[in-house]
Amino acid sequence: MQKIDRLGWAAGKSFRSYGVRVGIRVNNPEVLDQLEKYFPPGWKPAVSPVVDRLYSLKVGGSSSRPGVRYFHLLYGNVVRLARTADIEELFTVFESDLQLYVAEVTRHRLFVHAGVVGWKGVAILIPGLSFSGKTTLVSELVRAGATYYSDEYAVLDRHGRVHPYPRALLIRQNGNQKSSKCPIERLGGVAGRKPLPVGLVVVSHYRAGSRWRPRQLPEGRGVLALLANTVSARRQPKTALSTLEHVASRAPVLKGARGEAKEVVDSILHKANGGRPLISQGGSVHSKTNSPK
Amino acid sequence: MKKLGRVRPQARTDDLIVRELSEEVLVYDLTRNKAHSLNKTAALIWGFCDGRSTVPQISRLAQEQSATPVNDQVVWLALEQLGKSHLLRNRIIRPVGEPQITRRDLVRLGLAAAAVPVVFSIVAPLAVQAATCVMNAPNCLPNNTNCTTSSQCCQCCCHQTGSGNPPKCTGISTGTCL
Repeated sequence: MQKIDRLGWAAGKSFRSYGVRVGIRVNNPEVLDQLEKYFPPGWKPAVSPVVDRLYSLKVGGSSSRPGVRYFHLLYGNVVRLARTADIEELFTVFESDLQLYVAEVTRHRLFVHAGVVGWKGVAILIPGLSFSGKTTLVSELVRAGATYYSDEYAVLDRHGRVHPYPRALLIRQNGNQKSSKCPIERLGGVAGRKPLPVGLVVVSHYRAGSRWRPRQLPEGRGVLALLANTVSARRQPKTALSTLEHVASRAPVLKGARGEAKEVVDSILHKANGGRPLISQGGSVHSKTNSPK
Repeated sequence: MKKLGRVRPQARTDDLIVRELSEEVLVYDLTRNKAHSLNKTAALIWGFCDGRSTVPQISRLAQEQSATPVNDQVVWLALEQLGKSHLLRNRIIRPVGEPQITRRDLVRLGLAAAAVPVVFSIVAPLAVQAATCVMNAPNCLPNNTNCTTSSQCCQCCCHQTGSGNPPKCTGISTGTCL
């Protein structure tokens, strides 16, 4: 028995997410219900006490001794993940670690770090590192009428179709690296429900003042651009290559620096539309600007 | 000094995942966790590296199967790239006296850009590198530590100061983050 197992846990629950079994135990039962909103989309309760990863959350707070406060602690298996006086910060670390763990070890789906929207029956994938402007671009595409699928992971099945991962957008404020959650409804958008084939991949990063003049990558380079953002690239490279091959063989992969997100939205939707004129869901015709060569 | 005829490159086959696309070949190196995309010319030459054929023989075989001209210079350029990417059993060094030719030189000499051998490589990311950065995430790198992406840094910013310096983790709002 590990030392952590003797800390006195009051409540716990287990659930499955994309075939991964996860358990959570707490010393304060009231916190357990609060944690559910941080679980990955599509989680299902499980009854088995055997799990692949066990989180232990010890709520701190005031002590009986005057002037003494205990930190809140979070463990993933036996490794301490966070020690903080701010419980919200603990929840953020829990959510991030849990989502990353599920994304890495699941064998049911392939997780690519990317924003995703749906448009006219196809998905537009926007893979990229943190701070490349994925969420900003996804927000603008949703405002232009695209359906929201994800701002964090493109969840791909073996046939290369994207499934929704509809968590709230994490929007960073100007100059502040901490982010706040923004439900998609607040942007006037709707979340997609059905899996979609990928129609376009946009590999871009924000560069102030840049003009959007993307070039289309060859198929192999397109696969590598996606692989560079694949969470389980090292754990299951064979599955990753096979799945991404499906994507890159059907969808053009465009790469280039972009300026403001608003300036490239029409061009991206136009390309995803197979070059046909854009008619938004409201019926108005979008103007075509900076169309990719 | 090695003689030209004695160089017999051999393609590496162990610990590789190879996927043939319509115009390219993808290779994943399980030992180094690197992925490579070989264009048509590079893939063709790599396929003829059987450990028995010499460079002139490879160029002749490749020429027979390619619509574009493949000469010894093209083969040497491909072998250098394949060697650097660890896709050959032994790294091939161009013999002394053999002119150094770059991709740009080949294009300048009239070879179509698409016919120039190209091996494009990436390092497969760790899971944490392919995820959104959370400030002070577990195992994050403190400021002034070398980094490759912002998601590795506790303060979420991997910043390069000057062209010669390696990128380092920095505090927030210090400039463009990688």
